[in-house]
Formats: sequence, structure tokens, C-alpha cells
Amino acid sequence: MKEQTAESRQLALEERSRALFHESVDSLDMALRSRLTQARYAALAAADRSGRRGWLLRLSLWTPAAGVTAAALLGITLWFSAPLGHHGVMSADSQSNFEDLDIVASSDEGSGDAIEMLQDDIDFYDWADKTANSEPAAEEPV
Amino acid sequence: MPRFDTLNAAWMVWHGPAPAPEGTVLEQSRELNTFLAEIERRAFRMAQVALRDADDALDAVQDAMLKLARNYGSRPSAEWRPLFYRILENGIRDLQRRRSVRKRFMTWLPGSKEDPDNEAQDPLDNVADTAPAAPDRLMQDQAMQKLESSLRELPARQREAFMLRNFEGLDVAETATAMGCSEGSVKTHYSRAVHSLREQLGEVW
Repeated sequence: MKEQTAESRQLALEERSRALFHESVDSLDMALRSRLTQARYAALAAADRSGRRGWLLRLSLWTPAAGVTAAALLGITLWFSAPLGHHGVMSADSQSNFEDLDIVASSDEGSGDAIEMLQDDIDFYDWADKTANSEPAAEEPV
Repeated sequence: MPRFDTLNAAWMVWHGPAPAPEGTVLEQSRELNTFLAEIERRAFRMAQVALRDADDALDAVQDAMLKLARNYGSRPSAEWRPLFYRILENGIRDLQRRRSVRKRFMTWLPGSKEDPDNEAQDPLDNVADTAPAAPDRLMQDQAMQKLESSLRELPARQREAFMLRNFEGLDVAETATAMGCSEGSVKTHYSRAVHSLREQLGEVW
């Protein structure tokens, strides 16, 4: 009997307090309701923004790292895919390439000399040009 | 194909799950909005009981909304309620801790005898309301004030258990998730809270 009374008193307390609480929730003024709505919209918008930014941030952080890794992998692949004899040892082919380069360099050098010569003897070439355009001189008897 | 699976798995580890399609996100956002709209006023009142300040309560609720939406928005909606209250209770505890530190600091400062909690209080709040109120309404308000002050007298864990179980209607398991403790602890806290409230509020309440 005593237990029943205690239980019913507990139930009464729970019901009364719940009813009062919900009554106080329903009687919140419009200004507060409006502030709560604004807070909700602001929270949802901020969460949406940060979600998108988070994805982009992760992408922007990892993309350069992925690029560097890919470049390193490519370099390693190229290095190991080449024949072993080519690493650090000068072969006959590369020797001939260097000779070709020398020839090209020397021909450039020669053409440089020719230009210099042309600049030095410009009077001679001017005279030769005039002479060639004038009447031909009498041929010397053989 | 296993090579593709491995690459795909590696991508998921590096980047996290890819964003959901736009339609799913919209639907989820709408569902979350509905959930928060349904819960926000009760959450605010519970925070207000604990913090005794409307602005602080509003901050706590907004912060909980933001954290729920940001961190747990993609979780099943059935998990939202206990998660939301867990975040809210943590926020309330943080605010109370910060407030007590601030109060201790303010008492050390010379010439600051006033309670810092009341510094921004509107003087009009203290003016007596002369408008006639219905007797029933008045009695309800007084009963609610008595209940609130009794709830504030309770230890924080007991108050949390009582409000979550009785006001919000969470079951024992959900309350345990919200409080971050075992179901047995919830039952103990709740039982002690009811006992204390009955003693404080008296037989006639």
C-alpha cells in the first residue's frame, strides 16, 4: 500500500512537471521563437558551407601531394625501365652525339668568322660588286 | 577489377566519402531542419533551466545545432535526438565551467563586486508586471518557477537524467547515449532526482 502511494506520487510528480514544462515551452514569446528559427537557419547554412569547404580543402591539400607522388613514381619507372648500361656510362652513341654537337658548334664558329671578315673588308666587296656590274675589261691575251 | 577496387579504396581513405548527390543532400537538409524545428524550443527551455540565461541558452542550442548538422548530419535520423542532447549537455557544461572561471576572476579584480552574470541584464526585467494575469496562469507560472529552482538545486547529472527522461521523453538507452554513461547510471540518477524533487517540492505541489 505504501509502495503504491509512493509510486503514484512519483507518477503525479512526473506528469505535473512534464505538463508545466510543455506549457512553458508553448508560451515562449514570438521574439524568442524567431531567434531560435534564425539560429537554426544559421547553423544549417554554416554546416552546409563548412561541409563543402571541408571537401574542397581536403582535395586542395591532397592534390599537390598526389601530383608529387605521381611525378616521383614516373621518374622511378623511367629510371628502372631504361637498360642498365645506360646509367652513368657513356656509350658509343652518346659519344657520336657529342661529336655532332662539336661539328655544329664549329660550323657556327666558322660562320661567325665569315661575318666578321665581311664586316672587315666591306670596301673590297663594294668595289668588287661595282666592277662586276661595269663593262667587262679586255681580256688579257693568252 | 581488384586493381580498380584497391584504387577506389585508397581514394576513399585519402579523401573520405565522396559528397552525396545534390538531391540526397537537399532531402537530408530538409529532414534535419524539420527535426531541429521540432526539438529547438524544448532544448532551449532545458538549456535555460540549466544556465539561467536566455542568451547563453540560445548560444548553446545554436552551437549544438551546428555541431549536429556538421558532424552527424549524414547519420540515420533516429540517432539525432540522443546525439543532439549529448552535444547540448556538453555545451551547457562548458558554458557553466567558463562562467564559474569568469566569476572567480572577476571577484579578484578590484571594484567588481557585481555579479558578472547580471551585467547585461535589462533593468526593465526587474519592473513588476502590472497587467492582470489570470489566476490559473499565475499559479502555473509560480509552480514552474518552483520546479525550475528545484531542478537547479539538483546535481547536474540528476537534472540531466530527469529532464531528458521526463521532459524530452527519451528512453533509458537514449538517455544513456545522451549522457555518455551506462543505463544503470541513468536509472540511479533519475531515481535520485525524483526523490529529491519530491522532497523539495513538498506534498502539495
